[in-house]
Order: sequence, then structure tokens, then C-alpha cells
Amino acid sequence: MTIYDACESSPQIRLSRRMRIVLFFLVEGVAALAIGFAALFVSFDPVWSAELPQQAVLRPSEARSGSLLFKTDDGYRDALRLGIDVDLTVSGPTVRARVTQIFRNPTKDWVEATYVYPLPAGGAVDTLKMVVGDRIVVGDIKERQQARAIYEQAKQNGQKAALTEQERPNIFTNSVANIGPGETVLVQIEYQELVQQNGNEFSLRVPMVVGPRYNPRPVVQSVDLRADGSGWGATTTDPVPDRDRIASEVLDPATNAPINPTNITVHLNAGFPLGEVKSHFHQVKIESPDSTTRVVKLAEGPVPADRDFELSWKPAAEKAPSVGLFREHVGNSDYLLAFVTPPSVEQAQQKALPREVIFVIDNSGSMGGTSIIQAKASLLYALGRLQPTDRFNVIRFDDTMDTLFPSPVAANSANIGNATSFVSAIQARGGTEMVPAMRAALSDTNHDDADHVRQVVFLTDGAIGNEQQLFETISALRGRSRIFMVGIGSAPNTYLMTRAAELGRGTFTHIGSVEQVDERMRDLFAKLENPAVTNLAAKFSEATADLTPSALPDVYRDESLVLAAKLDKLAGSVEIKGRIGDRPWSVTLPLANAAEGKGLSKLWARRKIADAEVARTTRQANPEDADKTILALALEHQLVTRLTSLVAVDKTPSRPEGEPLRLSELPLNLPAGWDFAKVFGERPRLPAAPTERRADAGDGKVQFAALKRSPVATQGPGTIQLPKTATDAELKMIAGVILLTVSLLLLVFNRRQTLSH
Amino acid sequence: MRRFILPLAFALIGLILFGQGAYIHAKALLAQVLLERAFAQSIATGHPVKPWRWADTWPVARIEVKRLHASAIALAGSSGQALAFGPGHVEETVDAGEPGIAVYSAHRDTHFRFLKDVTIGDEIDVTRSDGKIFRYRADRSAVVRFDQSGIDPLTNRYELVLSTCWPFDALTSGPERYLLHATMIQSDSSLSDSGS
Repeated sequence: MTIYDACESSPQIRLSRRMRIVLFFLVEGVAALAIGFAALFVSFDPVWSAELPQQAVLRPSEARSGSLLFKTDDGYRDALRLGIDVDLTVSGPTVRARVTQIFRNPTKDWVEATYVYPLPAGGAVDTLKMVVGDRIVVGDIKERQQARAIYEQAKQNGQKAALTEQERPNIFTNSVANIGPGETVLVQIEYQELVQQNGNEFSLRVPMVVGPRYNPRPVVQSVDLRADGSGWGATTTDPVPDRDRIASEVLDPATNAPINPTNITVHLNAGFPLGEVKSHFHQVKIESPDSTTRVVKLAEGPVPADRDFELSWKPAAEKAPSVGLFREHVGNSDYLLAFVTPPSVEQAQQKALPREVIFVIDNSGSMGGTSIIQAKASLLYALGRLQPTDRFNVIRFDDTMDTLFPSPVAANSANIGNATSFVSAIQARGGTEMVPAMRAALSDTNHDDADHVRQVVFLTDGAIGNEQQLFETISALRGRSRIFMVGIGSAPNTYLMTRAAELGRGTFTHIGSVEQVDERMRDLFAKLENPAVTNLAAKFSEATADLTPSALPDVYRDESLVLAAKLDKLAGSVEIKGRIGDRPWSVTLPLANAAEGKGLSKLWARRKIADAEVARTTRQANPEDADKTILALALEHQLVTRLTSLVAVDKTPSRPEGEPLRLSELPLNLPAGWDFAKVFGERPRLPAAPTERRADAGDGKVQFAALKRSPVATQGPGTIQLPKTATDAELKMIAGVILLTVSLLLLVFNRRQTLSH
Repeated sequence: MRRFILPLAFALIGLILFGQGAYIHAKALLAQVLLERAFAQSIATGHPVKPWRWADTWPVARIEVKRLHASAIALAGSSGQALAFGPGHVEETVDAGEPGIAVYSAHRDTHFRFLKDVTIGDEIDVTRSDGKIFRYRADRSAVVRFDQSGIDPLTNRYELVLSTCWPFDALTSGPERYLLHATMIQSDSSLSDSGS
């Protein structure tokens, strides 16, 4: 009986065991599908954060911003040489700069040179002169396309021509066509700029190096360097070591004359008795003809253009003039420039207003990798800096959005702790819906509360295409909030950042690496915590004024308010009102007492153009109207803008009459002692296969790029970095299958053991 | 019961790993379907169309190797995010059909798996989002380090580079990249002429 029973039951057991194994597989299969499918909705971003190395984006843009490239028809080994002379005249509040670039073609071919260079943002470029042999050609301002066409035509015809174009408000390109073999062409541009004032100190800066603060996009892409193709291919050598070697050679003044020599002279007429005058990065000789004037020259002649030139000066009196008022009469109008520094004594006693800070962090997928780490570190730093009297809130967004607290809360330790863990848990994923987040950040629930300064700190890479919408949101909803954009990562959308900060009456801070977080955030907080003057407004008593900037920014610690205005008559006064801390503050400046200034009309026009660009993007003016305004201003004041360029064409060797008149008033300011032979004569041959030259290993401004018809023509900074293109999909699937098999074996083994017992 | 814990834990981890791997492929496949649709729409409307609402990128080109019946829709940008869904058009390189080098990168195990089968002389068609088709012929391949690609973006010939990770059958990612270089042989007009 028992045997029979056993016989009967054993197939059942076998069947059920088989069933179980089948079921097991079935369940596993379904589970695998289910998990795979569920995973579609759960992002495994770390898997994908295939980062480009940091410098991938930074390096080309840095290197390209001050590059000299030259074209030949059949490629050449020798690079074009360039020398730069910068002559600055400071007249009270303005700087007139004359930058002479000397292009020399040591080759046996006709070449076209294109030089991309930085200028101070806000500099108004208004003059272009080209000197060929003993002929001087003065550039005319033209609409951009027209100028380009004129230039191209001249180039075709074999005439010498120069063209100055604006790539960005602070990046310009000079093109010079048809430089003959062994010829030297001088191109001179002039710009007008404002003196910077910071507390007691006045300063000017000539950008020689394009540092990360500009972070321009690769402007050189518009410049095509003619190689005939075989430049691609076998080269896998790293050009950087070679470049460093060349750079160190250049920098050895004992054995070599500087190869990219720059000479700088400053005529300083401060308008007040001068105290200390200091050059921060260069050895200088300073002459003092009288108490208000200095002539600053480089102590040891031309230097390699490897760092910015910065000059600062202080008044002899202990206190800097807190007010400056200057006027210029051009045509039928008066132009006014006013500097006002809020009283520093009062400022020192003033306790900062408590703040209401809304932090917004972008955790979209494009922030994946190091960007999100920087953003989180910055935000955690910021949370740590809050004072107990402050209020704050945190918003994170991708294509969804979370607001940490329903309304801003006091910055006590419990709330800060809450926020810290909230921020720490953030991961990068999803899309970038920035507008709702900005709208949420700007929705001001305590708008009657004048005791708190409301600040929005917005951390993002700005990787969005609907900038327009964001600008509209800001201009419509900004209210009393100030927006401080913090650009994260190696290539944030700087256009978006600066515009947004401008519209939001705040600042733009760029954090390009984790190491920069502390320093940059500290600077930002110095501004956030010390709003010297808020709610600024200016009123003219009699004159009708066309004022710029139209929305007066907050004046942060040690900054001064700078106003430019076009007036119908120079009469009455201007009253500037604001609040310092909790106290109202106002100052009245009588216009009649303004001192004579130079180039104020250009500065005014430059700022009006910037305003029009803003209005254009915010659609306060429609694009056609804004463009018309810009064009009219640019043509009237002879400025290079997005829409206008300067073009000079050497029509024939015998220029028409009338030009010699201009010729005579052209002191082409080559400094005495500028020795062409010395500048250009040394080392006629560059080291083997020079593909790039830099004045400094780090970030020299002037570079030479020559493309040869050889496969060695690897462009160091131009080399494209390739993204990571492998996934661990297969690895994971294989590991998964192995683990499943192991578990199956274990199960079967277990079953065997159970049965055998 | 205890004896089930270990195998079940193994099974669970195995499932998660397998699921993640499968998810990568599922995402790559599904995205291409959505991208195909968005790309067709882009060509029709002339505006970039996002493949899905929250996408960070949009289709810019179709890369096709007719001999291998392989095709993929490339996306703007080459961030890791974009590469999960399709080949990425590397920033700072020109569009296909423009003078200069257009560089597209994709994962070797998904969209550019076919790259190892492309031989010198193969024709590669690139359709831009404006509907123009450019034909390139593969003429060189190279293995380089990711940061020393040797690609010169400043050329003014019409060139194309497809890049993916090297070696093709490795399981982990490394610094080496495989580059397939091609030169344009037919621009849009001539292609349509020969087609008609």
C-alpha cells in the first residue's frame, strides 16, 4: 500500500516541482519586465552622467577669445606676427582708449588676418583706422551686413580692407584683408569707457587675458581657417606640452624679446589731487607733471600680453569725492554723467536689513555630473550664511517643482536643518521648466513688508531655449525682488544669466568648478548682506532727461551709482533718492556746476543701446523698433554694435581728396622706442610645426594659429573633446543573468536537500 | 525559510541589475521611436520639435547607412542625458552640410552599434532637420583618446565624424574613442537631381 501510494504520489511531486520551476521562471520574467518598465519612469541618472571633462568646454572658449588666425590660399608655416599698443587717456570719469594692433606678414603670400580680442564690457568702440605703408584709411560705420559686403568686395578686388565687428558686447573681431608678403598693416580702434569706482579707489582695467569671467562661446567658429583637409587624421599627440614649451621660451626675457609684445601708456588726469597710483600686475614708471596728472608707462618696455592691465588711483584727500558730475555738449544736446557714492560713514554704522531669500536650484538632467555637485555645495554654503533674523525658502525644479516651505520661514536652526537635508537629497534628472520656478520664486507673499530685502538666488546652468519667456516673467513679476543669478558649470548660458540678473536688478556670479564655490559665494554674500542703497530713483527738476539705465540698480557695498542722461537744457538740478538701510537718503546735484567731460555722449549712447537690447528681449519694444533705435543710436554716435560694424577700405593708392585732412589729425600713437626690428625681427623661424603660440602657459590673450598643409596641424584648443559613449547596460544585464542563474541553482540545490531529508 | 533568503536576495539583485540594463536599451529604443516622430514633424514644420514634453533636447539630424539598413536620429548636444536617447551632435561643431566638421557621438552598445560594420567607402546619408540630405563617404577611421581627438573644427571642407567608444565589445568604458571620418560627396541639390 505504502509503496503504491508512494508510486502514485511521486509523479505528482515531480509535476508540482516542474510547475514550480516553470512558475519561478515565469514570475522572474514578469518581474524583469515590470522592473524594466518601472525603470522607465525612474531615472538612473548617475548611469548616464557621462561627463565631459571640465575643460572640454572651457578650454576652447578661453583660448579662442583672443586668437589671431590667418588665412592663406595654400597654407603656410610661418605665423603672422602681432604687436599691440594700448594708449589710455583718463579724463575725470572717462577713459579714452586707443588700441593699435600691428599685423606683420613674414610669409611670401598674401594673407587675411582675423583677430578676436576682448574689450571691457561697456566699452563703446567708435573709431577704426588702418595704416598701410604711409596711407591712412579711416573706417566708416555701416550696417553690419553692408560693412561685411564692402569688406568682402574689397577683399575680392585685392584692396586692403579692415573690418571691426562685435561678436559679443565685450568681444570684437578685426579682419584685415590682403596683407602682402613682408608687409605690415596697422589697425587702430578707439573706445570710450567709464572709470570704475569702488569705495575710495578708482580703477581701469584693460583685458589682455580672457579669463573665465567672460566665458564667451567659441566666437572663432565664424572664422574659417583654410586648411585643405589633410589636417585631419593621424595626429593623436597632445599639443599642450609643445605649447608650454613654446610659452616658456617666450617668457624668458633674458634671451628673447617678447613675441607678442604689448605696450601700455596711461595719461591720467583724475581731476583731483592724486594720492597713490598703483599698477596691480605690471611694473610701471610713473611721472608726475602736476598734482592731478600722472603719466604711467611700462617700466621695461613692451610686455607679453599675458595678463590684464589694471591701474588704480586714490585721491590725496582721505575721502574720495562722493559725487561726480560731468557734462558734454554735442550737437543740440547736453549729456550728463553723474557718479554718486552713498556716504560711507553712515554706511559703516548702518546695520544691514534683514533679508528674505528664496533659493532656487535647477536639478534638471542637464545639471547632471559635476554641475549638480557645485550647485548643491553653493546652496549649502548659502544656507549656512543665513542670519537668524532672515527668512528663506528653497525651491527645486526640473520639469516638476517642489517648494520646501509653503511660505518663507525664519532661518532658525530647525528650518535650516530641514532645508539642508532637502538639498542634500536632490538629484539631477528630468527637463528644465524654468519659468514656473521663477514665477514661484517671485511670488511675494509679504510684499508690504519693507523691513526685509527680498532676494532670489537662482542656481542654474541656464540650458533652456525659452529665454524670452523667462525674461518676460522676470520683468512682469519682479516687484521688489532682486534676482541674483548663479551660473553653474563650465558652460552656463551667460546670455541668459546676465540678462536675467540685469532685469532682476541683481548680479551674475559664475561658479565654474567646485573649488570656486567658497570664494564666489563669499563675494556674492558680501553683496547680498550689505545692500547700501535700495529703491533708487532720479528726478530732474527742470530739464527733460533721457536717462539710462532706466531702472536704477541697487547700489551694493562700495559701489557707486552711475547715471547717464541726455538733456534738452543744462538747468535746474537732479535729485537722487533712495533708502540706506531703514533711512531715506537723497542728494541733489545742481546741473550748472557740472564739469566738462569727454565722450559722454558715446557712453550714454552705449548704455541706451544696452537698454534697447534689454527692451528687445523683454518685448517691451518690438524687435523692429528696438533694432531701429539701436541702429539710429549707433549710426549717430558711430558705435560698433550687434547691428553695425566699422569698415575701412584702401580704395586705391591715390585716395580721393579730403582724406589728407583726416590724415593730419591722426597721431598714430606708436610710442617712441617701439622698434620694429626688435619687435618683429627676432627668431624669424618658429619652432617646428608651430600650430599655436601663446604668451603664457595659462591663458595668454594673443595666440597665433597657422595651419599648414600637413597632418600635424592639430589645433590645441580647437581640438574637439568627445563625450563618453559607452553604457554599462551589457555589464549590468550579464551580471543580472549571472545572479539569477546563481539564485536558481541555489533554489534547486535547497530543494534537493529538503527532498533528500 | 532561511535557506530561501540568500537565493531570493540574489534573484532580486539580479533582477534589478538586469532591469537597469534592459532599461538602458528600452530607453534607447523607445526614444528613437519618439524621436523619429518628432524629427518628421521638425522637417514638416521647420521648427525644432521636442520629442516629449520634458525633453532637454531635440532631434537635429538622421544618420543613415543604407548598406547596413542602420539609421539613428541624432540630438542636439552630447550630454550624457542626450546620449541615452540617441546620437548627440557634439557642441561647437558645425551642422552637417556646412563647411567644417560635423561630429556625432553615440553609445557603442546602442545607437552606434552598427559603426563597427561600416567599412571605408560606405555611404553615409545625413538628413538635417530642414529636410536637406547630404551624402558622405567614409574614408578613414582612427582610434584616439577622448581629449586628443585631433579633430580640427576649423577646416572648411565638408566633413563628418561619427564617434563612439572603443573597443566595441568592451564591457566597461575607457578613454579611447573610435572615429569614423567621412567627406561629403553629394550635397542636397545634387542628391535630389540624381534621384529624380
